[in-house]
Amino acid sequence: MYALNYVKAKSLKDASAFVAKNPEAKLLAGGMTLIPTLKQRLARPTHVVDIAALPELRGIAAKGGKLVIGAGTTHHAVATSPAVRKAIPALAGLAAEIGDPQVRNRGTIGGSLANNDPAADYPAAVLGLAATVVTTQRSIAADDFFQGLFATALEGSEVIVRVEFPLPKRAAYSKFHHPASGYAMAGVFIAQTAGGVRVAVTGAGPGVFRWTAAEAALAKSFKPAALEGLPLDASGLNNDIHADREYRANLVRVMAKRALAKLSGKK
Amino acid sequence: MAKVTIKVNGKNYAKAVEDRMLLVDFLRDELKLTGTHVGCDTSQCGCCTVHIDGRAVKSCSVLAAQANGASIVTIEGMAKKGKLHPIQRAFSECHGLQCGFCTPGMIMATAGLLKDNPNPTDEEIYKGLEGNLCRCTGYINIVKAVKMSAKLLRGKKH
Amino acid sequence: MSAKAHDHHDPVGRVEDARLVTGAGTFAADWNLPGQLHGYFVRSDRAHAEIVSVNVERALKHPGVKAVITGADAVRAGYVKPMHTLNFPGKGGMQTRAPERPVLAHTGVHFVGEAVALVVAESAEAAQDASELVEVTYRELPAVVSPEEALAPGAPQLHENVPGNLALEAEVGDAAAVEAAFARAAHVTRLKVEVSRVAPNPMEPRAYIAAYDARADSYTLHVCCQGITTLRRHLSVYTGVPEEKLHFEVGDVGGGFGQRTPAYPEHGALMLAARQTGRPVRWVSTRAEGIACDTHGRANVIDGALALDREGRFIAMRLDWVNDMGAYLSPASMGHIRNTSTCMTGVYRIPALYATYRVALTNTNPVSSYRGAGRPDIAYTVERLVSQAAVDLKMDAAELRRRNFIPPEAFPYKTPTGSTYENADLPGLLEKALRVADWKGYAKRRTQTERAGKLRGIGIATVIENTGAGQAPKDEVELELDAGGAVTVYTVSKSQGHGHETTLAMIVAGALELPLERVRVRQCAPEKERLVGGHTGGSRTTVGAGSVCHLAAKKLIEHGRPAAALELGVEPSQVEYAKGAYRTKESKRAVKLGDIARAKPVSVIAEGKFGSTFPNGCHIAEVEIDPGTGAAEIASYCAVDDIGTVINHAVVEGQLHGGVAQGAGQILGEKVVYDRGSGQLLTGSFMDYYMPRAGLLPAIRGAEHPTPSAVSPLGVKGVGESGCTGSLPAVANAVMDALAPLGIGHLDMPLTPARVWHAIHAAGKGNS
Repeated sequence: MYALNYVKAKSLKDASAFVAKNPEAKLLAGGMTLIPTLKQRLARPTHVVDIAALPELRGIAAKGGKLVIGAGTTHHAVATSPAVRKAIPALAGLAAEIGDPQVRNRGTIGGSLANNDPAADYPAAVLGLAATVVTTQRSIAADDFFQGLFATALEGSEVIVRVEFPLPKRAAYSKFHHPASGYAMAGVFIAQTAGGVRVAVTGAGPGVFRWTAAEAALAKSFKPAALEGLPLDASGLNNDIHADREYRANLVRVMAKRALAKLSGKK
Repeated sequence: MAKVTIKVNGKNYAKAVEDRMLLVDFLRDELKLTGTHVGCDTSQCGCCTVHIDGRAVKSCSVLAAQANGASIVTIEGMAKKGKLHPIQRAFSECHGLQCGFCTPGMIMATAGLLKDNPNPTDEEIYKGLEGNLCRCTGYINIVKAVKMSAKLLRGKKH
Repeated sequence: MSAKAHDHHDPVGRVEDARLVTGAGTFAADWNLPGQLHGYFVRSDRAHAEIVSVNVERALKHPGVKAVITGADAVRAGYVKPMHTLNFPGKGGMQTRAPERPVLAHTGVHFVGEAVALVVAESAEAAQDASELVEVTYRELPAVVSPEEALAPGAPQLHENVPGNLALEAEVGDAAAVEAAFARAAHVTRLKVEVSRVAPNPMEPRAYIAAYDARADSYTLHVCCQGITTLRRHLSVYTGVPEEKLHFEVGDVGGGFGQRTPAYPEHGALMLAARQTGRPVRWVSTRAEGIACDTHGRANVIDGALALDREGRFIAMRLDWVNDMGAYLSPASMGHIRNTSTCMTGVYRIPALYATYRVALTNTNPVSSYRGAGRPDIAYTVERLVSQAAVDLKMDAAELRRRNFIPPEAFPYKTPTGSTYENADLPGLLEKALRVADWKGYAKRRTQTERAGKLRGIGIATVIENTGAGQAPKDEVELELDAGGAVTVYTVSKSQGHGHETTLAMIVAGALELPLERVRVRQCAPEKERLVGGHTGGSRTTVGAGSVCHLAAKKLIEHGRPAAALELGVEPSQVEYAKGAYRTKESKRAVKLGDIARAKPVSVIAEGKFGSTFPNGCHIAEVEIDPGTGAAEIASYCAVDDIGTVINHAVVEGQLHGGVAQGAGQILGEKVVYDRGSGQLLTGSFMDYYMPRAGLLPAIRGAEHPTPSAVSPLGVKGVGESGCTGSLPAVANAVMDALAPLGIGHLDMPLTPARVWHAIHAAGKGNS
């Protein structure tokens, strides 16, 4: 790790102001991605601004047809929250599949979204549920938030405060773990929302994306069979030593079917 | 320099360290608690697992400064008055360790797992140890040790 | 033999556990010396390049930096020629061509990760910070990472003295006999298999401290190793420093699997730094360095053919090997030929055999011993051929093996490659394994699996491997007895998790009939560094050092007999020894063992030289495959092993578990991958290098089927490598069995979900 300065933010305003003044500063929440990145000297921030303990980022609440989760909430807290399990069990299930227990004890939803790793799990839920990312400056719809490989709509000093999930009629997530890293080789989140069926795919491409052909087909018939023979353009998918595009495309299809099967109670 | 006031295994420490110092290096180099090990650079192996405020975490992925004010338990804090913790006893009795390098992390991860789930199934143990690698045992006896630990700990409560 | 050694129950837990479960172990990175400096290696980011210049000026000016050691220093010191053991007779009298390898690269680099400079500073952080200021100018050269491509005409040439990148060409067996047998064969099964390159990855990263004593002109190295004798010899040859000027401190070692045997360039570079700075220099490896630079294992490509007669009897086998040794010959490179040829015909009577070896150098990390060091490679090759032959002939895989076993009455059995198997009961082993695995009930289990929409396969492997013998001229063990009757056992062998402190103590305590806690084992103690013996590797410690422990205990008893007789007032021949005391038949009086050390501690050194033992086993695996994702899971695993007499059952079982898991991991996921064009390492961390996790192997149903070895007075055979020697072929055969009904022939390891799915998909059955 390069030398840096550790700053503990006293408030959200404080953190935001500090980052605005120090463009090479980085926000530090759970640190589950940032610290390993720093250790490998892949980033060289002047400061890390610790926002993990800020009370403004805490809390899980279901109200007004929405589930609101503070950005500083750990994966473990989401996975075990009775409120989440009741409102959107698929989201609790997804959180329980992230990384490993030690990572879930520190990693946060806000950190995961801000990082937008193409194989992270949360982006699939946020996009699949048409959630809203609320920052210190504005509200960003999921469809606008994710902008490809490690890229988001967040600007300079903007800090994610919370995520608001509209409650779906039903939702499910199915994930195929990367054999080495445990990240999603392909993860598919399917939700029946007020705005229609949404199918969000993570791990397979350079960033989370919606599989629109599947959404259209499932809108007509919400059954695994509806996915048979659907087009899925593999050309934009990731191709690496662990899985080529064709295999990833298959995984997307299979995980989508398995997510649907969870909803129909069949395996 | 970052000021770190911290409780480790019940003892208070106050030190000024480089801001970039990792918690694991703080424990090993500053406090000479070398039972916490480093087995990788990417948060995969879990050899460095300790408890921060009662939760199992990888101390290689936390700055010492982040742990300021926290209460930490390391492998050295598990045995009490020379008596092995039931999990330590179970790992030994089940031959759940060979070289012993991953063992402190395994034991701390097991303690974390059993806190959340005092009676885990095999599948739950596999998931609970997802963050810990062992190269010697093939994990079979580790899983046995976790089960025996659970039994011993449950017995203690009744 | 005295059967006493194993005539008791296993102790509960091991002697070493108490410190290891409490965090009180002392691993290599736990050592610190007063006044120490810290080293950080600058490593090549190119696979193949000339070094045009190395500029250390800026790095030297960095605060805290004390020295930067480079290839020029290494060459000046003469630390350039690592030892190699590839002294197998070459074809047509060919001599092994071994490239030089300065401990820091001087004129060129030959793989990604090769050390180019060592920055030494007051802190590890300062050394790493300054390492970025070392300016290395390269002239890049084309790289070749595949051994077959390296041997092809027109391939990039790594070393001037290794034309064609061919380090050695060798052959064994009888080419004419094999040709004749193939000509009259009723059936020939052909299979080209790859035993992939893997990273041993013991959980403890390497860490060393080198200290130089100017007055004595000697070095003390704190190391993690598998035993000091082999390391000392390697390092002495590499550096030219006489063996008596190399001293070692070894604490707990966090795994080794063969990888911690050799002298590494880093040892030498740290010695140079310690000498130049006059202070101890410490280095702790990262995992990234470990995967890139700690020797890899396996990496063989074998083109094989098995000829059978009309009755399904094996009549000949031909194997053509290409062995990838990486960029340089590592000190233990010999294993790949010696160990693959020793048991080349496996457990079968194959009258005619011919094999060729071509040892290739590539722009990759050097390959050395890894658990089995060639034994699993040959077992995998033969057992895949045999199972494939069973498929070809539509024969039961167990029956084909049964038909071709070396029968019990044929032992000792001389193999076509000249080794002599001592003993085995292969039919008995097989029948027991078939029972334990419920071979007959398999069809029912397959139906159940298929009902759940999955594929199921069963795989069998019957294997044998050479263990025990080593390159040390003999094994010595010293026992020291104090007046209190406590015995200290000194050995130069070093556990890396094997539990020597328990097993060797059990042997000595057994022979002396003392409680276990009276016996303490010290491994590689600096004050006993002159003891002779093998390191722990090649499954040899219990056979070698263990047997000598037994002899030493007997010697100690004899040593004390005259003194005891004197004290008892009888002739020595009238004195009997039992349970820690000398007695006569007549009198009730006793002289305690400790009494003979009343005046001063008593020391005896015993020695022995033991040949090879041949543990063998039958492993049966069942797998389930999810056709939608291609993911294979081990549904059951059964292992019946003949490892001779067992000293400590828990420890032996643990060795088998670990070995089986490493083999299963290699079949299902592990592989070191280099980019074909650039030579870059693509599996440089645990994010990309698959490691087995909990749940890979739910359980192993096992049984012992011992035929005690007469090689050792204890009747023991080696066990450290038995697990993976059996599991590589058993698990692979199970996966291939599951896929065979789809018309899928052979797939090379690793049988990753992607690879298996592609095969299923191509076979037209990829519907989920």
